[in-house]
Amino acid sequence: MDARLANTWRLTVNEKNFIKTALLSEIRIDGRKPFEFRNFIINFGREDGLTEVQLGQTRVMAIVTAKLVQPYQDRPNEGTLSIYTEFSPMADPSFEIGRPGESAIELGRIIDRGLRESKAVDTESLCIIAGKLVWALRIDLHILDNGGNLVDAANIAALAALMTFRRPECSLGGEDGQEVTIHPPEMREPLPLIVHHLPIAITFGFFIDESIMVIDPTHNEEAVMAGRMIATVNANGDICAIQKAGGEGVSQRVIMRCLKLATTKAVDITKQIKEAVEAYNSERALQKIKCKSTYAGTNEENRNQSVDSKGISELAGKYMERLKLVSRECCVSPNNNEVETKSLRSGTDGINFTSGPLSWDPYSKGVDPEFLKVSLASQGLSTPNKKKESSGEEKPSGTEREGPYDDVNPKSSAINTSRIEIQTKGQKTLKDAVKPKNKRKKKGSSII
Amino acid sequence: MEYVSPEGLRLDGRRPMEMRQLRAEIGTVAKADGSAVFEMGNTKVIAAVYGPREVQNRSQQISDQALVRCEYSMANFSTGDRLRKPKGDRRSTEISLVIRQTMEACILTHLMPRSQIDIFVQVLQADGGTRSACINAATLALADAGIPMRDIVTSCSAGYLNSAPLLDLNYIEDSAGGPDVTVAILPKLDKVTLLQMDAKLPVDIFENVMGLAIEGCKAVSNYIKEVLLGNTKQLEYRRGL
Amino acid sequence: MRGLQLPLSQTQRIRLQRAFEKLQSLSSKANSDASVTVADTIPVNYEDTFLKGHGTMDLNGELVATVCGVVERVNKLVYVRALRARYKPEVGDIVIGRVVEVAQKRWRLEINFSQDAVLMLSSMNMPDGIQRRRTALDELNMRSIFEENDVVCAEVRNFQHDGSLQLQARNQKYGKLEKGQLLIIDPYLVKKSKQHFHHLEQFGVDLILGRNGFIWIGEHVEARDSMVVDQANSSEQSPVLEESNQAYTPLEMRQTICRIANAVRVLSTLGFNVDADLIMETVELSTSLTIDIHDMLGSEFHVLVAEMEAERRSLTTKRKR
Repeated sequence: MDARLANTWRLTVNEKNFIKTALLSEIRIDGRKPFEFRNFIINFGREDGLTEVQLGQTRVMAIVTAKLVQPYQDRPNEGTLSIYTEFSPMADPSFEIGRPGESAIELGRIIDRGLRESKAVDTESLCIIAGKLVWALRIDLHILDNGGNLVDAANIAALAALMTFRRPECSLGGEDGQEVTIHPPEMREPLPLIVHHLPIAITFGFFIDESIMVIDPTHNEEAVMAGRMIATVNANGDICAIQKAGGEGVSQRVIMRCLKLATTKAVDITKQIKEAVEAYNSERALQKIKCKSTYAGTNEENRNQSVDSKGISELAGKYMERLKLVSRECCVSPNNNEVETKSLRSGTDGINFTSGPLSWDPYSKGVDPEFLKVSLASQGLSTPNKKKESSGEEKPSGTEREGPYDDVNPKSSAINTSRIEIQTKGQKTLKDAVKPKNKRKKKGSSII
Repeated sequence: MEYVSPEGLRLDGRRPMEMRQLRAEIGTVAKADGSAVFEMGNTKVIAAVYGPREVQNRSQQISDQALVRCEYSMANFSTGDRLRKPKGDRRSTEISLVIRQTMEACILTHLMPRSQIDIFVQVLQADGGTRSACINAATLALADAGIPMRDIVTSCSAGYLNSAPLLDLNYIEDSAGGPDVTVAILPKLDKVTLLQMDAKLPVDIFENVMGLAIEGCKAVSNYIKEVLLGNTKQLEYRRGL
Repeated sequence: MRGLQLPLSQTQRIRLQRAFEKLQSLSSKANSDASVTVADTIPVNYEDTFLKGHGTMDLNGELVATVCGVVERVNKLVYVRALRARYKPEVGDIVIGRVVEVAQKRWRLEINFSQDAVLMLSSMNMPDGIQRRRTALDELNMRSIFEENDVVCAEVRNFQHDGSLQLQARNQKYGKLEKGQLLIIDPYLVKKSKQHFHHLEQFGVDLILGRNGFIWIGEHVEARDSMVVDQANSSEQSPVLEESNQAYTPLEMRQTICRIANAVRVLSTLGFNVDADLIMETVELSTSLTIDIHDMLGSEFHVLVAEMEAERRSLTTKRKR
């Protein structure tokens, strides 16, 4: 309401009717089925607690920071968690700079209710001195691009950020035990937060006829829908929060059906988030080892680890230090062949990084058709190779077409996706660096 | 802390499935087109409706329907400690948005194009369930203003403490940290328009609690209809022929 | 407060209660049964064909009310008459409005409707009385005819396609209203009658009952020609001089106007229909009891008026029987 109507993006009448008619036959305009969630990618940043989630065309960034404050008077031994949202005008022309508008505040409060009131994060462990000093966590959510369903994307980003955030360790000392020393991360390993469960937000959109319901509406569908309900559930079957603010009335039966549906979806999404976070954590641990080893000044370990020439491993290591970015792509539907993931090795040494392109994404621009042909050809080359070598891998590895995407995708500015794969202990992994052309040739030769 | 005693009485002496006392009054703000005061126990809320009238901000005019605006504010003296910021804080903005979308769903806005309907709700005394009381008061005020509606909207809250579903929580029960479910329904159509919940609750227990809240809403709707009918009859016979 | 918010003593309260009860018993039973609230089903014989009018809606095959009011049936038309709603205009209604904006070739008037009404320059008589095309000069001089916050009396001409109203003031009796008081009451209290302009001879006061609930009580003005004369004069003279040129309203006249206005206020607070006869009766009651003008708004007078009304209505019903 505070957004000026002149700036609101409006759908034409034709488009609205088309969307509605398509939904009557259970077809959505982006090809999904009504109860299908979009694929999402979680990118982690250089620091702990920085994530970016890409859900279709929606991009949300979450940053977790902590500082020491005095606790609230009525809760002296609990830390605090506060959520701030930033709806940047670059995401949508109807967002305005300055104070957050109604939708920004609503989003913040929905996520706040889901995380804080359901006690997802253990706040008592954030207490240092009861009544005097506690950790205050602050989650900042920045909306970078509005492609519909901001709440779900922001929620996933916040959860991923919380799980990867590390707070500095502090110890009490001094004569009366009141002196607090905060250890910098170089001295002592920062501690992760205790997250009891992951509340996942699932948005349902209702249309004029009550029987039509979709999950994860896109921007177009949001302009057409008559009502929406956001159910925050966790994988254990608990409902953490529900928000249905007006709009089309629905019967009780429909609501219960939605909740059951949400629970099943939450299980999938929780699994993916956990996988992504684990991958990041293991990569991070590996990074720590590498740091120490390079610090010690030996490259032997590096060499041992890489089967290929040391140049590549050094390159890999340098890329690790320089870029320090990991991208995880999570598949939702097993049908999606273009998008593949690598399963994580139990040992932390083997880390595979792949991101297949979302080839169904209609919004990617500027993909050179030649590139596409070349990459398609290379995919044909690599996949049979991979099938031969990969033993324990569940799915055939994808190809690196990320290189052109890196150049092409303007959105991944600060956060690049690194496609580094390290071969360790005889495991066959793809190596890919940012410069695809060079590496593509080496791909064939790196196989042993 | 025990919220339900072994005999089955709550802190204020009610049974778990019992609502607080309701009281409604129509026509409290003389200048407004429609106004009402609604009390649920100790929670007291006043609502005033202006409209349909000319849109004040031409750029926001919608050519085929009425623009609905809503503002929720809590009086400084409504809670125990004096409130620092009665409106403009995040909670008030969210509740304004929620009330607006709830009422917008039931007002027949296409009958009043290019006009504006303002709903102002103020909490005079807050003792839990302010959101529900606000929606009930707004419904009464809209009906008083003669604005055509699809159906009345009634609202009630319920919770779950000490393994018992409780209807119509007051402030102490609300701040106990247990789940709080606020529901608003369209009684004639038997549809749920507003549903808000916080804190964790398993699905099956949630179904019970939501069912209880809906029952509470129906009781409120009976009362509201009674009040409105009485008011209409009174106006009619006074007017004469 | 809209309702009676007067400090009533115990006896006054009882008397008022009795008067209202009498009124209630007098009101036709059919009416009280016909009251509906929002989402009440309207009892209709679905076998017969009927037309759905205002205030009704079709819900799952049954007829449901969308406002609180009284169900009216006129031949085959079934509609719900909302009581306290904004003014519902009909073509040919006399309305009084206040100018809120002077726009291009039109004035915008606030008339207690969902949108502002429009009075086109071409729907207004020119000061010199000649029927001619409005020139650009006329447009520039619009402000000399009506300015912001002027009270204007006009007639509803038609509805525009977007739902807004168009007014016209081509008659002599329409136009700017001066030297008087404007009262705002609920539109449903003013019924449509043959005459809306009342000239109360004994007081020398004009009473205009606008259908939108705006009531004008002012000093009697003979004809609108005075406006023509004024225009010719005022173009040369300064506004200060103009005021002094106009006749000064004597104190008595002002008091009479106030008395009548208070009578209207009392009637509207009690919720009674406002028409000229009733106003006259109320004024006579107050003068006969020599009640001070400001005492008219006191509790005692309210109770008296209620009793008088109850009496009157019982008399009329008896007469009907």
